[in-house]
Amino acid sequence: MTIAIVLLAVVVGAYLVAVLERWSVHGQFSLSGPAVSALALLGRESLLARTPDRLFFEAGPILLLVAGLLGAAVIPLAPGLIITDLATGALFLNAALAYVLVALIMAGWGPNGAYGLIGGWRFLGQFIAYAMLIVMPITAVAMRAESLMNTQIVLSQTQLWNIAYQPLGFVLFVVAAMGLAWLPPLDLPSAPGDLAGGVEAEYTGVRLGILRLARMVIILVMASATVTFYLGGWLGPVLPAWAWSAIKTLIVAALMLFGGRYVPRVREARYLAISWKLGISLSLANILLVGVIALVVPI
Amino acid sequence: MTLQVIFLAFFGIAAVWFGVVVFRTHSMVRSALALLFSQTAIGAMFLVMQAEFLGVLQIMMMATEMSVMAIFMVMFMMDPGGMGAMDMTHQKRLSLRAGAVGLVAALAVIWLPDWGPIAATVPSAGEQIKLLGFELLGRSMFIFESAGLTILTAMVAATMVAIAPQSETANKGARDGA
Repeated sequence: MTIAIVLLAVVVGAYLVAVLERWSVHGQFSLSGPAVSALALLGRESLLARTPDRLFFEAGPILLLVAGLLGAAVIPLAPGLIITDLATGALFLNAALAYVLVALIMAGWGPNGAYGLIGGWRFLGQFIAYAMLIVMPITAVAMRAESLMNTQIVLSQTQLWNIAYQPLGFVLFVVAAMGLAWLPPLDLPSAPGDLAGGVEAEYTGVRLGILRLARMVIILVMASATVTFYLGGWLGPVLPAWAWSAIKTLIVAALMLFGGRYVPRVREARYLAISWKLGISLSLANILLVGVIALVVPI
Repeated sequence: MTLQVIFLAFFGIAAVWFGVVVFRTHSMVRSALALLFSQTAIGAMFLVMQAEFLGVLQIMMMATEMSVMAIFMVMFMMDPGGMGAMDMTHQKRLSLRAGAVGLVAALAVIWLPDWGPIAATVPSAGEQIKLLGFELLGRSMFIFESAGLTILTAMVAATMVAIAPQSETANKGARDGA
């Protein structure tokens, strides 16, 4: 039963993220827009490139979707409303999302096209940039909760949300999350404009539909992970717990989707340099700071 | 318990199968990712054996490592897509012998030592993480810290070797300009 409810939440959430994305890109709010696009994709011919690596071409989008769904499995929507509350939940989220990289390399390599190939390998570089900035802020979050269990992480924020407790970690995590979900200005693997769609370039029809759906799920998972780690998850007054999760997640997703639109796309090398030189130093400082606060102030 | 054994066998066979695929395919990327899925299957075996932290860690680390390996294999090989049907195996006789010796050694390690009584109960996953933490920051701290420092030194050294010295690049620029 819980699995069915969470899956339904993921479907509805992914749809709403698609509505938000459409709004941020085209400037028009349309609740039916993504459904129309999806139907159009289903009706279109699904082309196959010449001499593809067929296995990777077919498996890439599906693996991407599976990675997103596995990530969603460890995120609590309300007390008790979680597919599996693993003792290593926060780490498991990372493990699941590491396969976003594998899926994009497969999807980029599969069709045997230059744009896809470059897009897929670009994401590897992007991964090297954002990976540490996902893991290290989570370390600080787990330090405060004294647990890797995601429900425990939410409960540790009863007195004070982590966004106030470790604002530096929040900023680092959100930016890294945008890199993971390849949202502008970090949309290097798809890069409309300079890579003609990149990883998505050779996909059409149903396969493109799955790829897009998977990306929406990943954006949703990153937004809800931000809510779980920094915005007190389901905690909040008056409204039921699940409603708070939903509202916060949609607000974070909207901020991620709209915020990046106003920044020019970051070049690969520059992104790596900033992430390693500035980002990692700041995350280490964040860990130190949180450690000191956790030892001195009991909140 | 039976279900556990069935799953363990399943993931074990999957790990071996993907290991075989590594050498049977022609494509460098397929080879690298087959090794990744072999390692992922080993991670799944850890999960079946209720070593949750180790399993999740294995599954996470391998995704990155094997992907990085894949790009190096693509960069250095002449036929990364395997369209020329390149053979992944070489030095077959030596490899066969080395494989046989390895197998015998592994079997000896499995059968010969006295492993002691089988643990009747497994600590809970949360307890395991705590125990692992105490181990890493206690008895094994020196080993892990020195290993970490060694790897860091190697990383810094490798990066320094890869970057051309400033003066050299400046001179080259000057020559090209002239």
